[in-house]
Amino acid sequence: MNALPISEELVRTLSMTVVITSVLTVELRRLKLSAVAYVAQALLIVALLVSYARVNHALYWWAGTALVTKAVLIPWFLFRYIRRTQEMEVPPLVGFGPSVIVAAVLMTGFFRLTHSQVDLLAPSALAQAEVFRTNLAVASTVFVLGLYSLLTRRDAVKLVIALCLLENGVHLSLVSLAPGLPETALFGIASEVVVTVFILLYVIEGVYREFGTTDTFRLRELQR
Amino acid sequence: MSGLGVVEMPSALPAACFLIPILAGFAVLAGGRLGFRWCQLVTMLASGAMALSALDMASQAWTGTILTTWGNELRVDALSALVVLIVSVVGVLASAYSIRYMEHAAAAEGPGPGTRAQRMPLFHALVLWFLGTMAWAAVTNNIIMLWAAVEATTLSSGLLVAFFWDRRALEAGYKYMMLLTVGITFALFGCVLVYAAAAATGGLTGHDALLISEVRGVAAAIPSGTALIAVSMLLIGFGTKAGLAPFHPWLPDAHAEAPTPVSVLLSGVMIKVALYALARTVSIFFPQIPAITVFAVGMGVFTMLLGVVLALVQEDLKRLLAYSSVSQMGYILAGVALGTYLGAYGGLFHLLNHALFKSLLFMCVGAVVYATGTRRIGELGGLAREMPVTSACFLVGALAIAGFPPFNGFMSKLTIYLALAQSGLWWAVAVAVFTSVLTMVALLRPAVRVFWAAPAAEVARAAPVREVPALMWGPMVVLAALCLLLGLAPELAYGLLHNAALLLGGAGG
Repeated sequence: MNALPISEELVRTLSMTVVITSVLTVELRRLKLSAVAYVAQALLIVALLVSYARVNHALYWWAGTALVTKAVLIPWFLFRYIRRTQEMEVPPLVGFGPSVIVAAVLMTGFFRLTHSQVDLLAPSALAQAEVFRTNLAVASTVFVLGLYSLLTRRDAVKLVIALCLLENGVHLSLVSLAPGLPETALFGIASEVVVTVFILLYVIEGVYREFGTTDTFRLRELQR
Repeated sequence: MSGLGVVEMPSALPAACFLIPILAGFAVLAGGRLGFRWCQLVTMLASGAMALSALDMASQAWTGTILTTWGNELRVDALSALVVLIVSVVGVLASAYSIRYMEHAAAAEGPGPGTRAQRMPLFHALVLWFLGTMAWAAVTNNIIMLWAAVEATTLSSGLLVAFFWDRRALEAGYKYMMLLTVGITFALFGCVLVYAAAAATGGLTGHDALLISEVRGVAAAIPSGTALIAVSMLLIGFGTKAGLAPFHPWLPDAHAEAPTPVSVLLSGVMIKVALYALARTVSIFFPQIPAITVFAVGMGVFTMLLGVVLALVQEDLKRLLAYSSVSQMGYILAGVALGTYLGAYGGLFHLLNHALFKSLLFMCVGAVVYATGTRRIGELGGLAREMPVTSACFLVGALAIAGFPPFNGFMSKLTIYLALAQSGLWWAVAVAVFTSVLTMVALLRPAVRVFWAAPAAEVARAAPVREVPALMWGPMVVLAALCLLLGLAPELAYGLLHNAALLLGGAGG
């Protein structure tokens, strides 16, 4: 319960950078750069987990799992498939300018909302105490940015990256909500995400070969 | 823990029923070079063993025994036993059906990595993993593992939906994987919240807060705001997977484009497993937030009506059946969500019945595709002469789903109507009866067109149409017989449904 050994300043800086990398991941149009922003976020999450682990030693396992799955395996798949399909994202529904504004509003608004209303989301005293409170707000902000991206993008690979953001949000929230979660459960969650991303990209490569594009709006064969 | 005066007994069966098919899947892949026969033999043996273990568990659950494994990690009560029984019985019939169906499909050439014949070992392995993960979802008592198992069913079936690897299959497979994964991420958030809230009540120590059977005991201490957020997340997550409106758009694409044995498993079994996960988790909060029940019944009524209206306008037989599945899931939800004993009994009975007749109907349409190469209603007609068994089976399925006596659908729908009326929800009864009439039109009209009306004049077939092989019509006849049997003697399922309904609908209700 004691959050003292953690440097609040460090956690806050890392957390804010995580939010910024989410916006970059959503907004960057060159898919490789977007994936690089995703890797940066993954490494920041690992750093966050390590700093939380000074309170809760089980989190060292989490940090290791996150490093292998989020910072190594998923980016590896992403880069592999981006090379085989197309480099530039299919233009999204919302133009760059408006999209950045929406993302910024979502980011600040949702962060403030969840930070002030944490007790609704998190029933435990630990999650309501500081650093874990900030962490939960960051987690839900990353989740919402991922959701925004899923709703407005039309490039299949970009949607997979958005899905990863969504998942990062849930993963971060676990630190505040469920620090006692056994490693087996955590490992199960993390490995399923890796398999999901792999299968999705495998199918998307098939889609690219058959349809000649990764634009999901052109997948209209079944509506006839 | 054993509030209903039940006996808990450690047993290896809950572990066996999902580990056997999962290990057999690896065996199929390892021996893939041995050819079709090896794959088929292992699939049949594993699904058969699974069905035997499910029957044994069901007979023990009938008497009120709860089987546990690895402490309380796996826990099979009557509700779990019912779902495992559905998974394995439909699983073994679909496996038998798939033998000739997939040999036929593999003979045709299609796009994709390797030839279709080369992909057959993967097909069988994925089917086994699909069955195993569905059984795992039904037997686990750990809320995070429940999520993991439900997500694993998506992973094992995603490549099955896209198996033919043509444009239609790829589009369906992509949408299936994407929508279900996004949906299920919400469910993860919901499951974690339930665990965190249960742990924070202080009534449970460490690992016990993960066990659904234990969480029930402390549910009253969970703040209702948190419970409401958790329930909404679970409803979005597992509701997407169960094909409930408005989260259903993936369903017709996936259920129509998958190879027919997989359609049988998706429509007949998988959406039920998702509904089971939903009922298992959300019912924790029924006593505390009664408003959930009214909301969920409303959602069920909306789903049943929307599904059948969309089914009415379909020209593709498989899409028609898929939309009708959406509609029937609405009935099941409306029953189970009532939170009363009668509602739970009717909903679960309909869950069992729908698994039987929807599997039957999909197999019949698969037989039509096998014999004629098309599933468009306009291109078919007068098949009853050449395919007497298929046409009779389709008629049984259509009458059962429309709720005609003496078939099983009549009994379960009647129970749901009575339960809705008992709770005073007359508007829901009216919509449910109206939907049933539309279901009759939606299913019987194409049945008459395809099997008894004169064929469209311009259709010229390369080969004469013949009845499908016995390995395909055999499972269909078994399912049709079960539909009739459960309609004439609904007490055959009483013990299992009664104990399961007590779990969801409170004692007596």
